[in-house]
Amino acid sequence: MIITRRGLAGLALTPLAAAAQTATPRRGGTIIVAQCSANRFVASAQTARHPYFTVDLTTRIPYNALVWVDREMRLQPELATAWAPASADQSVWDITLRPGVRFHDGTPLRAEDVVASYELHRQRNFASGQIQKIEAMADGRVRFTLDAGNSEFPYVLAEYQNMIMPAAPVETIGNTGIGTGPFRFASTDPNRIAVYERNPAYWREGFPYLDRIELHNREGQQETALAGLRSGQFDVVMTIDPRSVRGLQRDADLVVDSGGGGHHYVIQLPKHPGSPFEDKRVRQALALGVDREAIVRLVYGEGNGWVGNDSHLVAADPNFLALPRIPRAEAVARARALLAAAGHPNGINLGTLYWSPQSPEVGRYFQVLQETAREAGLTMALEQRPADGYVQFRTGDNDFSKGSFHRFAMTAVGPRNPGISLFRMRDAFVESGHWRGPQHDAYMALYAQAMREGDAQARSAMFSQMQRILHEEVPALLPAGTMTFSVRRRHVHGFEFHPQIWSVRFDEVWRG
Amino acid sequence: MISLVLRRGALSLVTLFLLASFIFFATEVLPGDALDVSLSADEIAMMPPEVLARRRAELGLDRPILERYTSFLGGLLRFDLGRTIITRAPVADIVAMPLRNSVALAGLTLLLALPVALAIAMAAAQAKGRLLDNAVSGAAIIGYSIPEFVTGLLLIAVFAVWWPLFPATITASTDDPLSVLLAAAPLAVATTIIGSIAYLGRILRVGLIEVMAADFVERLHLSGIPRWRILWLHALPAAMIPGLSAAALYAASLVSGVVVVELVFAYPGIGAELVRAVTRREVHVVQAIALAAAVCVVLFNLAADLGIVALDPRTRRS
Amino acid sequence: MTALLRRPAALLGLLLVATHLVVAISAPWIAPFAPTSLLDAPLEPPNATYWLGTDDLGRDAFSRLLWGGRVAMLVAFAAGAVAVLGGALLGLFAAHRRGSFDDVLMRLVEMKLAVPTILFVAIFVTGFGQSVPVLIVAVGIIQMMGVVRTTRAAGIVLMEQGYVRAAQLNGESGATIILRELLPNVADLMAVEFALRASSALLLVSALSFLGLGISPPTPDWGLMVEDGMALLESEPALVLAPALCIATLVLGINLAAEGLSDALGLDAARGGGG
Repeated sequence: MIITRRGLAGLALTPLAAAAQTATPRRGGTIIVAQCSANRFVASAQTARHPYFTVDLTTRIPYNALVWVDREMRLQPELATAWAPASADQSVWDITLRPGVRFHDGTPLRAEDVVASYELHRQRNFASGQIQKIEAMADGRVRFTLDAGNSEFPYVLAEYQNMIMPAAPVETIGNTGIGTGPFRFASTDPNRIAVYERNPAYWREGFPYLDRIELHNREGQQETALAGLRSGQFDVVMTIDPRSVRGLQRDADLVVDSGGGGHHYVIQLPKHPGSPFEDKRVRQALALGVDREAIVRLVYGEGNGWVGNDSHLVAADPNFLALPRIPRAEAVARARALLAAAGHPNGINLGTLYWSPQSPEVGRYFQVLQETAREAGLTMALEQRPADGYVQFRTGDNDFSKGSFHRFAMTAVGPRNPGISLFRMRDAFVESGHWRGPQHDAYMALYAQAMREGDAQARSAMFSQMQRILHEEVPALLPAGTMTFSVRRRHVHGFEFHPQIWSVRFDEVWRG
Repeated sequence: MISLVLRRGALSLVTLFLLASFIFFATEVLPGDALDVSLSADEIAMMPPEVLARRRAELGLDRPILERYTSFLGGLLRFDLGRTIITRAPVADIVAMPLRNSVALAGLTLLLALPVALAIAMAAAQAKGRLLDNAVSGAAIIGYSIPEFVTGLLLIAVFAVWWPLFPATITASTDDPLSVLLAAAPLAVATTIIGSIAYLGRILRVGLIEVMAADFVERLHLSGIPRWRILWLHALPAAMIPGLSAAALYAASLVSGVVVVELVFAYPGIGAELVRAVTRREVHVVQAIALAAAVCVVLFNLAADLGIVALDPRTRRS
Repeated sequence: MTALLRRPAALLGLLLVATHLVVAISAPWIAPFAPTSLLDAPLEPPNATYWLGTDDLGRDAFSRLLWGGRVAMLVAFAAGAVAVLGGALLGLFAAHRRGSFDDVLMRLVEMKLAVPTILFVAIFVTGFGQSVPVLIVAVGIIQMMGVVRTTRAAGIVLMEQGYVRAAQLNGESGATIILRELLPNVADLMAVEFALRASSALLLVSALSFLGLGISPPTPDWGLMVEDGMALLESEPALVLAPALCIATLVLGINLAAEGLSDALGLDAARGGGG
């Protein structure tokens, strides 16, 4: 099944252009959806409709954000129709709101609602802390004032928690579940079930097609969810393990959709005195010695994963700069030569690499990594740690001056824009293994420059230069990532999965 | 009899106090807290340490441990289980319905498994050492030698996917009426029953065989009472006594102990809620569920004791 | 022993356990491939080279099966030993001392019954890591409480016996009475308890591995292999069925042997099986 690529903007102007399907979309009907990704909150009866506590994959069913990121990781208008910096250093942004939008209770969307929503977000959302002030302007626009320039600020407006809710005090905003989205809440069972019904007054005229969506949370229980799909209880199962794709594709009743580039993993390389990773040549040998293609081939399956480039960017990002391809035998030889030059002609023991089962494939991923690194003379032990308390374990005291007890350990990285992703390699943050030196300073100088650069092309050139520094320095290892997958029964149409699983939409889904 | 109940009650309170303290300190010494686990690596990457510290103070996670312990115990004395850390929701609201569902599953399992186990045990005891007994004992051993997750997944594969007789996964709500919920859960109930019959049948069989070999049975036999009559009227009540204690403990362990079954079938019970609360480090929910499970053990034990008093002529007389 | 060997079911049980033990011990010599090496031949169907085929990482399923019981058996038997030794000493000490020590101990036993097993293990593993010694201690403590109850009950009966009374009158120390008079007399009970605890520990360990709290990759382990193979059940059923069969036959073997042993010793095996 080939999925066409298009944005929301074009569709907003020309409704009913569900171009990929030859059949005409049909109005009405219910679909029952299950999802398997982990949800990090325990919701209660009072909070089950709040955008922070519903399953993050489904926030865009009842809600909208100001901006949406499409499958190519580009910005698309949602409740905002336009955005522009109002200062040269990119620290003040003006947003134009879409006219004629109404909340589920019939009240029109006003600038005050956006201000009230962001009063919550700037206190709670991880990406919105830089917002200093939100103002409703006389002409109906909204002005955001940041603590520093951020040329990629519109990506923050698309983040999964940053939904627009009717104005209310910070303590209670969002609990009603009222939004501007294509469906409204009919009922909820916290952490388990949400039922939505069609919003007849949705601002995208003619949408949505369905009357009802029933969502069942099967986090971490993929086998249960797929059994439900096979026995006809579910119509769609979202976020499935790439490994089950092959088996599902054999079933004629089912269609597997790929969302493109999804999450990957960063491996911290501690660089404190006495650590083998203090020596750049050992880090370079590791980057060469790990067989990234074998990870993709064996763990995800050919075409179901992608080779990483030791930056936090995902391959689906237009700014991603791939590593040069080196034949395996040559890579192993170069890794061994680097090790020999570093004083380890018979190979090196890197100690224990700690991992936590953050996704179903992690165990297999790191076994392949371990086995292929061994071929290049890099041996390591693997030890699993429970997800609970893992952050503390991996981070240690996070203080390099005290000797830095962060570990040789992995964690997951989600697909996000360069402004967020490339910032993670800063010295002050544990994932870079507290990388220091002139190369780091050059990297961060480029970052600061890019964040003040209004021109996208100039910015992209800086991002490329930053990735080249990472290829040379290897402050951390980011070997490979997965695609995201969902599976549906054949009678479900118009469903597209997304590299950012939280940006999936149900506006155009219909039942044949 | 009343003094027995009072003494048991007082000792149970001591147990509950010990348990509450154990759970509190065990969950407190673990690394990480509710705030950390509510954030993904992506999110932590973007949050400056001072923002995390501010949030921690807002949520009261920075209070000294003794202060939290006394406020926790104080709450318990007022029957207040506290509120969740992140959403400030009353813990009792989160725990109540899953607890009801788990008790219902345990009760239904016992109700269906006990008569079957009893029938099997009696048939086997009557035919001790012969083919029937060996077959029954063998089947029971096989029954509890197979891990629950294997039984559950096999039942789903056979009776939901290949031959779609029953739902594969439970789509009913946590607060649906029990009739709706249990009607949606035949395979989950079957999985717990298979293990229960094997376990209970084995205990009852041994109890019966032991009693049938006792002196008073021999005397009854010599006085010409038929074997089936002895079995039904005399041996069964006597054999039920140890069986009842074991069955009560077993039923109590079913309330919180069928995590695997709850996860495999998505049954909205207390075990799955417990796993969720542990991974989200919602300490108050963990404490409430552990206490609820403890209260179940205490109550079921008490019920078994009273049942023994009712069944055993010696204790009834004294 | 001869009484044991005369029971066909018990004999079958012993045979099953012995086979599993021999295979597990000799796995490094008899396995055709290293259990973790990637053979660059993912998802081969069973054939002359790979008797059970290969998994999706290209590891030989037969070699993994031979290795797969080692750690689980180590944990189960070590936890069983911890449970029986610790439980018997505690139980007999309580039977000897009675009084407040006994009361508090019995409250602790009751408390353990009330703490959900999964929570207990999760606390242990989160605090101390997911290593084999931690698992042995956690599973051992869980299994220990039942042993405390049975040995305490047996000890109370023994304390009434004439020879124990005599030893007490002779002024023997508590430790001597417990170690010399009580312990030898519960040896039979301990043997049966050990088998029961080991089989229940084995089931617990495979359930924990299935939940991700037990043995961790890259260690080849039956419970993990079942969990891992579930996604491929339809195309490669052998990857799930073979390890599941191994768990079941080993547990079955231990249970049959325990049943036979307790019958032969005139003990009541099922009574101890709870908790």
